[in-house]
Amino acid sequence: MKKFDKNNKEKTFLEQQYSKDLVERHSNYLGTEIPEGYFTTSKLAILERIKNEEITENPKKQVVFWLKPSFKYAVAASLVFLVGMTIWLQHLNKTEEQFTTDFELLSFSDDVLLNSILVDEAQFDAYTNIILMNEIVIKAELSEQKMDDLFLNSLFVEDSLIDDYTGKKFVESIIL
Amino acid sequence: MSKEEQLLAKLRNPALKDTAFNELLDTYQERLYWHIRKMVITHENADDVLQNTFIRVYKHIQNFQEKSSLHTWMFRIAYNESIRYLEKNNKKGYEISEEFVEEKVKILSEDTYFNGDEIQLKLHKIIEGFTEKQKRVFQMKYFDELSFKEISELLKVSENTLKSAYYTAVKIIEEKIFE
Repeated sequence: MKKFDKNNKEKTFLEQQYSKDLVERHSNYLGTEIPEGYFTTSKLAILERIKNEEITENPKKQVVFWLKPSFKYAVAASLVFLVGMTIWLQHLNKTEEQFTTDFELLSFSDDVLLNSILVDEAQFDAYTNIILMNEIVIKAELSEQKMDDLFLNSLFVEDSLIDDYTGKKFVESIIL
Repeated sequence: MSKEEQLLAKLRNPALKDTAFNELLDTYQERLYWHIRKMVITHENADDVLQNTFIRVYKHIQNFQEKSSLHTWMFRIAYNESIRYLEKNNKKGYEISEEFVEEKVKILSEDTYFNGDEIQLKLHKIIEGFTEKQKRVFQMKYFDELSFKEISELLKVSENTLKSAYYTAVKIIEEKIFE
């Protein structure tokens, strides 16, 4: 395609049937050019940038040997088995211990009973005296006091009721 | 099944994605580059935006809902990436003025990969002086060979409005180019 100049006035400047070559068309009309082999280098640059951005966005995780899928399932199964065994064994020991504890408790209560027979007479007398004083004498005294209070209260209440009643009767008899 | 549909099916298959993406680059890289280049003007900027466009296509191909054709969708990504780039680098905005046009043409003429003559620079000046809609529809229709329907999907503007803007742009160019 020829370059346009002022002598081309007889033709229309913008052609209806223009060249299909984009580079040629842009160069002829707009004077814009590109470096040689640009589209090949640009394509490679775009692909490289995509590759780099994918790596940045999804960095490849470093896989530790013992965390590889083939290995980690076996490790997990072993751990579960070990934990299970530990719990089961603990449960077994506990049952045996419980039996021992119960037996010890029984023997302990027997000892207490035997010891109680062999208590000194003087100690036993002192103990009974304290119990007598606390439980019988003091409690009897307190219950006697309560009885007195109740008797006195009932007396006062009854007197006031009688007074009230006689007062009302007296008034009624006067009125009637 | 069209070639584009076959390509899309392959892009959505993880096992074939990389091979299909290579094919996609071969098919659309050049067209998208020129679309971007006209928007961001210099080769260096177009190269950056083109890479960003294809990375976005690669990442979001699974989300493509097929409301438009694959290449229209890719042109839309390229268009949006270019707009994003322009907004990031142009804090003065898009108000078209003599100064704005001169600045754009200066950037273009200083680009290593611009080899235009007086007429070509004049065409750039005329295009840069268009309204945003006129500029985009002219570039997409005349240089990128997109149909009015595709441009309408891309710019979300009715086809009739685009046709009117395009023919006005063509008329202005024909009138002003040899003045």
